Amino acid sequence: MENTIKVERAILSLTQDELAQKIGVSRQTINSIEANRYTPSTVLALKLSEIFAKPVNEFFKLSTND
Amino acid sequence: MDTKKIIDCERKRFDKIIKFRLPHKFMTVGIAVAALSIAMMFVRAFVMEGETEWLKHLLQKSLLVGMLIMSISRDKHEDEMTMALRAQSYAIAFVVGVIYALVMPYVEFGVSNVVHSGGEEFKDLGDFQVLLFMLMIQLMFYHNLKRYR
Repeated sequence: MENTIKVERAILSLTQDELAQKIGVSRQTINSIEANRYTPSTVLALKLSEIFAKPVNEFFKLSTND
Repeated sequence: MDTKKIIDCERKRFDKIIKFRLPHKFMTVGIAVAALSIAMMFVRAFVMEGETEWLKHLLQKSLLVGMLIMSISRDKHEDEMTMALRAQSYAIAFVVGVIYALVMPYVEFGVSNVVHSGGEEFKDLGDFQVLLFMLMIQLMFYHNLKRYR
């Protein structure tokens, strides 16, 4: 799974810490998601979707090995 | 109460047990209990005299309790990722613990026969040794998984 959370975060001028606080996770979790080391749950993905005001599949994409 | 309600009730109770964690402040309590137990083990071994076997068993139990408290305490920032990492660390500790319990008696037996001619007779590991090893692996892997997340 690939994602463009870093870009979406930059558009809203949010730091990792600020985004983490908004969705109730730690900064390290946001860092791991951005680095594609962790795939978030549907709940977390929907929370991100709400913050970015975009559907989930606009910032999460399946990669070739998924 | 119909069957569906009973199943829902049981599922909720089961969910509660699975998600049970102590508050973060218990981590300090766990560390203190474990550290105190280890310190007392040294005192018993090098300072105290006489029949203290009962104290040895008591300290072994308190060390396990301390480490268990550390193991089930919440993180400062507990979220779904730390929960996933904790589950991973328990799985690793279980597998490594079983391998340790199976292999270690043979290693001890082999080493004691090489070092002393005749050596010790074959004996299985005690519950303390296996549980201590599993808790140590769990805490160590959880810490490392968090570090490299």
